[in-house]
Amino acid sequence: MPEQEPNTIEKKEYQSTQSLFRRLRESSFKIITILFGLVLAAFIVILLIGVVTHTTPQALIESILSGEIQFAIRLSLITSVISTAFCIIVSVPAAYALARYDFPGRNIINTLLDIPLALPPLVAGVALLILFGTTSFGKGLADAGIKIVFTPLGIILAQFFVNMPFMFRVLRSTFQGINPRYEYVAQTLGSTEAGAFWRVTLPMARNGLMAGSIITWCRGIGEFGAALMVAGSTRMQTETLPISLYLNMSCGELPLAIASATILIVISLVSLFIFEKFSGFTRVF
Amino acid sequence: MVRVENISKNLGEFFLKDVSLHVDDGEYFMILGPTGAGKTILLETIAGIYPPDNGRVYLNNHDITRLPPRKRNIGMVYQDYMLFPHLTVKKNIRYGAKSTNLSKQEISQKVNELADMLNISNLLHRYPGTLSGGEKQRIAIARALIMDPEVLLLDEPLSALDNETKAKLRKELRKIHTLTSTTMVHVTHSFDEAFLLGSRMAIMNQGEIVQMGKPNDVFRKPNCKFAAEFLGVTNVFRGKSIVDNGIAYIDIDGLKVISTDRKDGQVYLSIRPEDILLSLKPLESSARNSFQGKVQEISDAGVIIRITVDIGVPFVAAITRNSFLDMGLKEDMVVFLTFKSADVHVF
Repeated sequence: MPEQEPNTIEKKEYQSTQSLFRRLRESSFKIITILFGLVLAAFIVILLIGVVTHTTPQALIESILSGEIQFAIRLSLITSVISTAFCIIVSVPAAYALARYDFPGRNIINTLLDIPLALPPLVAGVALLILFGTTSFGKGLADAGIKIVFTPLGIILAQFFVNMPFMFRVLRSTFQGINPRYEYVAQTLGSTEAGAFWRVTLPMARNGLMAGSIITWCRGIGEFGAALMVAGSTRMQTETLPISLYLNMSCGELPLAIASATILIVISLVSLFIFEKFSGFTRVF
Repeated sequence: MVRVENISKNLGEFFLKDVSLHVDDGEYFMILGPTGAGKTILLETIAGIYPPDNGRVYLNNHDITRLPPRKRNIGMVYQDYMLFPHLTVKKNIRYGAKSTNLSKQEISQKVNELADMLNISNLLHRYPGTLSGGEKQRIAIARALIMDPEVLLLDEPLSALDNETKAKLRKELRKIHTLTSTTMVHVTHSFDEAFLLGSRMAIMNQGEIVQMGKPNDVFRKPNCKFAAEFLGVTNVFRGKSIVDNGIAYIDIDGLKVISTDRKDGQVYLSIRPEDILLSLKPLESSARNSFQGKVQEISDAGVIIRITVDIGVPFVAAITRNSFLDMGLKEDMVVFLTFKSADVHVF
């Protein structure tokens, strides 16, 4: 019908402008959200570059090669590796038990093991200091030659206590993701329960173990609050990289502070990269 | 010989209730049941994965109820293969040999023999992740057989495979059974498998064994409504039976059916669709049951066509495509159903 034609065309035009508008609105939403992401990312990059370029490259290298920073690097590496090893040794059986077995108090233990994660590190440090510094238990240990307070041992303990939940959580979710029937089959093939765990479950948990170790180690290197409380901040004695950063910042030795910060940034970035690579197979939270 | 006596086990969602069965040496025993019937826990209890809450398990008349799995010499193959992903096929198969006192040469020889038997020789250096379901299941079977198990437990070993692979591996299982004469206990939810492989079978439902016997007998004479329905026996009806002079007269909503199975009172009866004769005119025969009805539904399943006829209650008769075409059957046509009283199974 001829009378209706202009009407239809008008309608079509109206619809097409309408849909263009809608598309624009949709894409403007898209653009805005992406912008937020970009701004955040740029902010982080600018911050990090700001630290690294604060001094001249020469001063940076000189500081890194200085005796104090060398000591801090060594102490940080040693304490973090040892505390990570302890985290592995303790978390593997605990995470396995809580992933596999149903026993009374299981939920309570799960919650308790997460507490250090939620606790401010300073508070964790104070708690450790009180136990190992003031009680007869701590004094007994000190008398037996195991001095925790104001020693590198205290740093290891602080790192272990604060970072254990990370290792525990990664491992628990890793073990939960492994069907127990693998172990059942291994047991019908002559393995004991421990043998099946050792020959089947643990190798299958390799990626989770790697991811957990990396994140625990990385956090150990950066551990400050709890370590400061337990081990103090004695130059060239309990001076890890973060402690060194703190000491040199507070007495105005900016190049040394920047050196520590730069090394910590590099370690974090590398760890993050490795963690992402392995954690594709596990969920942390 | 495996003997299970009054086993009960409660795992919450899945459970076993007072299960007893025995499997003779060299037998191929099938356990048939729907999902959640407790078939897998039954196998896992026989394998020793869980201790039962009650009851005992015997192997060759030794009580093995408290023996750990590794000391039982019972092999286990799961539906999802459970191949160790971090080990090559060869190392998977060899896994159990470590706990035996075989020498290295003997182990290699055995691995090769099994790989030959199961046609997986060309896969030995691969990792399981890249293999097909059929290949994985062969490897899982080889891995269990290296222990020379007294009994091999198979938990739905064919369920995850496509039809062609299924048929192939089914023949393979039969071959393995003949070659090794290992006692096999095979869990499935497919009646075809049970019928084609089993020398005897048990039907499980809700943690209990509801019927046990030769596949033919179980198929012909399901002993309860569940078994009948699960086995796909279509014509299952509830009725009231009165036995008179050695013959049961059963009233199904007014329809009177005669059976030679003598059982009084409220009963179920079943007639296999293949046992019903369908004709266009009343048949003069020795068969005692003959009814007139209207064709209600025609369902074409290829060679066999199932005709639903309303004779007061809907009965399904199965006829071949040829007779279907010859008779020119259409919906609403009046036809006659005839079946022998001996084919009416009452339970």
